[in-house]
Amino acid sequence: MPHVLVVDDDPVVADLVAFRLRRMGLEVTVETDGESGLAAVHRLRPDLVVLDWLMPRMDGLEVCRALRADGDPALARTPVLMLTAKSQEPDLERGFAAGATDFVAKPFSTRELVSRVTAALPAVPA
Amino acid sequence: MNSLAAPAAVATAVLGVLVVVLLVAVAAVHTSRARRLAAAQENRAELMAVVYDLLDDGDEQAVVDAPADLDEVLLHLLPQLRGADREAIQTALTRRGVVARAVADLDARAAWRRGRAATLLGSTAGRDHLARLTALLADRSVEVRCAAARALGRVGDPAAVHGLLASLTTARPLPAGVVGMAVLDLGTPVLPALRATLVTGSPAARALSADVVGLHGDVIAGPALAELLTDPRQPEDVRRAAATALGRIGDPGSTDPLAEVLVDVALPALRRAAAEALGRIGDPAGAPALLAGLTCPAREVAAACGDALVALGPEGSAVLADAAARGGPLGAAAAATLDAAPRPGLLVGA
Repeated sequence: MPHVLVVDDDPVVADLVAFRLRRMGLEVTVETDGESGLAAVHRLRPDLVVLDWLMPRMDGLEVCRALRADGDPALARTPVLMLTAKSQEPDLERGFAAGATDFVAKPFSTRELVSRVTAALPAVPA
Repeated sequence: MNSLAAPAAVATAVLGVLVVVLLVAVAAVHTSRARRLAAAQENRAELMAVVYDLLDDGDEQAVVDAPADLDEVLLHLLPQLRGADREAIQTALTRRGVVARAVADLDARAAWRRGRAATLLGSTAGRDHLARLTALLADRSVEVRCAAARALGRVGDPAAVHGLLASLTTARPLPAGVVGMAVLDLGTPVLPALRATLVTGSPAARALSADVVGLHGDVIAGPALAELLTDPRQPEDVRRAAATALGRIGDPGSTDPLAEVLVDVALPALRRAAAEALGRIGDPAGAPALLAGLTCPAREVAAACGDALVALGPEGSAVLADAAARGGPLGAAAAATLDAAPRPGLLVGA
């Protein structure tokens, strides 16, 4: 079963996202700040990360950069779906430059999120 | 010695007791907080189960019957969601009476309650309460007025544009930025009203309408904007907003009035706006006026003219090179502009 890590400092949003992804048959882990999110990536080696941008301690962009710079090529290739209110053109440029795979803009539709997660997951090496 | 030892022992004992009491109190606070957090988490999990059911088209009565805490969860989620999820939450808030209570709160004595009610109605109530929200634009509290303006923008009824524009010039005017964002939220259906305002509105409304039609790239507004731009009776900020809007719209048909203002008007800020607009439009027909502006004593005007000539591309560069070859003060300014211009060729070769 594919494993998705959801990192969002808003527990209500994180719970809702986790609920929708579990309904897809995915295994989901939730973390509520960037630092613990990055630690969880190393610990759990998820197939995909759904990542908020604005978070305490370490923001989503820093997490994304750290992940892409990881010495382990498999970890560095983990797809990252940014779920964020920062969705203006310059934000998208910064996000993609940091290594984001795709964006879902807040306010978001959980149906769109599910579609984008589905699209990102097949790219994961078996 | 003995007479001093006894009070010291008592003081030490009292201090020790105080420390113990303090430690116990801190431990009690921590325990209580941990219990509260655990209870809140458990409560949230129960409420989220109701939310999940709601978003899965589940039992509507369960949503209506859920405890009052659900309102906070729904109100928290509402601005985060869109589409069918958002509609489901809006319906649930209406069925739970939250919208009706917000309507009642529009008359509350506390400003925070009026502001919260306006915000909530903007997110949930559709167009049913437009008149009440419009009336709130004249509220005694600026925070409430701003909340009402944002709410009207979110409701999205084009009819709100008149109240929003009028709020710029009442006894308690709203900040133009807040009104502008709300009017932008109303989208292109309000463009006819904004075009009319360019002609008949107050100066503040004309300036804001010019800004918004420019941001929408409304070509039809071009002639009215050009009228405002070239009319010396108009306030400077209105003319400047018209210049900027014409630049954003980008119609080469605006080159002549912009060039006329750049050459003939003595107001540096307006001339600068005209030069920037000419650069945005990119019509080589604006080059002579921009070249003449290069030697303007107002540095911001000269700099904007130089930037605009560079923005014209090869035609602008040719005009600058020709002027530089002829020398004199204009030639020196043209040469300096060319020197400062970015050179894509260097970047490619780097």
